[in-house]
Amino acid sequence: MDGGSNAAETLSCARCGKPASLQCPKCVELKLPREGAAFCTQDCFKASWSSHKSIHLKAKLPSLGTDGAGEQKSDLVSDGWLYCLRKGQSRTPKLPPFNWTGTLRPYPISFKRIVPAHIDKPDWADDGIPKVEPNSDLQHRVEIKTPDQIERMRETCRIAREVLDAAARMIRPGVTTDEIDRVVHEATIAAGAYPSPLNYHFFPKSCCTSVNEVICHGIPDARKLEDGDIINVDVTVYYKGVHGDLNETYFVGNVDEASRKLVQCTYECLDKAISIVKPGVRFRDVGEVINRHASMSGLSVVKSYCGHGIGELFHCAPNIPHYGRNKAVGVMKAGQTFTIEPMINAGVWRDQMWPDGWTAVTADGKRSAQFEHTLLVTETGVEVLPARLASSPDVFPWLNK
Amino acid sequence: MADDQEEPPLAIRIDQTVEEPPQSGPEQPQNENFSVGVTVITGYLGAGKSTLVNYILNAQHGKRIAVILNEFGEEIGVERAMINEGESGALVEEWVELANGCVCCTVKHSLVQALEQLVQMKKKLDHILLETTGLANPAPLASVLWLDDQLESSVKLDSIVTVVDAKNLRFQLNKHRDSFSFPEAFLQIAYADVVILNKVDLVSREGSEGAIEELENEIRSINSLANIVCSVRCEIDLSQILNRQAYDATHASHLEALLEESKSISSRDLHDSGVRTLCIRQAEGVDLQKVRLWIEEILWDKKYDMDVYRCKGVLSIQNSDHLHTLQAVREIYEIVPARQWRNEEKKINQIVFIGHNLDENTLIDSFRDYSALPPPPFLWLLRFKSTLS
Repeated sequence: MDGGSNAAETLSCARCGKPASLQCPKCVELKLPREGAAFCTQDCFKASWSSHKSIHLKAKLPSLGTDGAGEQKSDLVSDGWLYCLRKGQSRTPKLPPFNWTGTLRPYPISFKRIVPAHIDKPDWADDGIPKVEPNSDLQHRVEIKTPDQIERMRETCRIAREVLDAAARMIRPGVTTDEIDRVVHEATIAAGAYPSPLNYHFFPKSCCTSVNEVICHGIPDARKLEDGDIINVDVTVYYKGVHGDLNETYFVGNVDEASRKLVQCTYECLDKAISIVKPGVRFRDVGEVINRHASMSGLSVVKSYCGHGIGELFHCAPNIPHYGRNKAVGVMKAGQTFTIEPMINAGVWRDQMWPDGWTAVTADGKRSAQFEHTLLVTETGVEVLPARLASSPDVFPWLNK
Repeated sequence: MADDQEEPPLAIRIDQTVEEPPQSGPEQPQNENFSVGVTVITGYLGAGKSTLVNYILNAQHGKRIAVILNEFGEEIGVERAMINEGESGALVEEWVELANGCVCCTVKHSLVQALEQLVQMKKKLDHILLETTGLANPAPLASVLWLDDQLESSVKLDSIVTVVDAKNLRFQLNKHRDSFSFPEAFLQIAYADVVILNKVDLVSREGSEGAIEELENEIRSINSLANIVCSVRCEIDLSQILNRQAYDATHASHLEALLEESKSISSRDLHDSGVRTLCIRQAEGVDLQKVRLWIEEILWDKKYDMDVYRCKGVLSIQNSDHLHTLQAVREIYEIVPARQWRNEEKKINQIVFIGHNLDENTLIDSFRDYSALPPPPFLWLLRFKSTLS
């Protein structure tokens, strides 16, 4: 069963622990989590008030137009940085209206980055529209890669790993996701590769940066990372005609225990899924493994996005759901390459889409983490193509144990 | 601001506010557990699809039904939706914007996302009809619409309804008899859950008494599971095509009908097309893992060279008190525990295949072999005897 805890029917009073039937109206207004905002009586609420109200203050920091951050945003807008709409096809100077599920908001994005002419580009680089990919028969059958293709994918995934590591070294409070994107973009170009997300169905940037309640496909923008955030950076590069795709979730400064557990559990979900990969294993079993591990930790699995085949196409067959009881067709065979990329949520599994048409957020505003690898099925098992290198930054405490 | 106050505001009751934020996306179903059924309407041009659609849009049935008119070229997309407003009968034309065809790494096809948006926009939609022009083979559409229950989508594939023209059916079925191409009519009938045999008035007027019955038999020889509804100008009772729940694993009443089937479901005569319905039965319970391997070899590996279009069955699984159902469309299949066997029921495996190049003996034998039962002792003796002599 999915482990998603749906804002529990039986909440306890934040002060005395008795069953709670009242909640703080300010928290409701700010869309803060109900846990910690529920009380059994007005008296308990009153007694907690002086310490409770600090939650409201923290939530208001990234606010719009009423303090320093707001002024900074209008500076950006006058500099030409605008909010993204319609999947990247248009821009707007004003924050679009939306029933935001959490405290995160989009920020204006920078101008489109240039890719030098000598870089080999996929067919969407100029007009934003993939032509070969949607019509390919590789959407319906899983390709067995030739030794040459496999060798190219090893190289490409190695580059993708190095680019992601460069991004990981940037992670600290005060850095904007736009700056991370710039590092990704420049590192990719320097390696002679193209950043696959750039202009893919009009996606405006060279990587996805997904903070806190963003599940995936977050667009790098002017927002500064804050101490306590978690951020996923998703890198895909295109080199020698093939794509390599990976992502990792990082801690910004000091994160709370719940976030630590969320990220570690997500890492383990991917790890366990990879451990079952070998010829003859059904694609549908990947979801069972991930779901089991996430549920055991009381976390839920995002269902709208899945792992995918990869190679000369960015996304192709097979589709690999991360949830259990799915009807994925087929078994793994040596020579296949695909990604597994579980997205695990602290709260409910449901997702919603921001007005930009890309950013997926949790429906309840709670946090989400993700890890991804591109995998090659070998005769006896699996090869993790963009695996960590000895030089990869030491950012996952559980790996040192 | 409230933060500066000494006094806290009045706490509010938890049930006064919505539990989850009001939907800004298409994810939430209209009620917690209700999904809107989607019926795919297919059939030859001129058979009466538009007649059926117009009848449904205009008839006073008290339901809110959206009809999606679709031009399938290379992509499956939604362009235009017409909604019948029920009692008032007014037709509302809506444009539903396609999610820009970005499949990316999403589980739901853009068509499904578009339908969910439609349900989101139009509260209290009772049903959706997807009218397909120029789509010869409904299978890819069924695959896209047959979602995992886990997705808790607000839309759900309800059935495939094929409209055939009684007057021209025989001609259409014979058309490519000698060529390698497959008349669409075979596929559309083979995949149907309901076949509307339209324009029967034109046939009975000209032909003999048994002409309609002959046509029904012709259809049954291809697909004996489908319900056949005869009609004039597609004026049918809507309950015969709505809420069929044909792809529902748990509301398996249509599958349970298999249990009661006394006469044989298998096509008696092999239709010229080579498309037929076959039914196999076995009393002994089977091992679940082995049944999976068996069905996967048939559907995924195309072992025995059989081309299966649809498969429906009831399984008796060893060491389980639950009746399991099996459903498949092309390569997509699922086996689900549906309900407990009732005391008075005789536990049995009964599986129906609709497809091309099916061989009854191969299916029976391979199913038995995979049932993990050792051959009964006396067969060993016979074999032993024969090698001696």
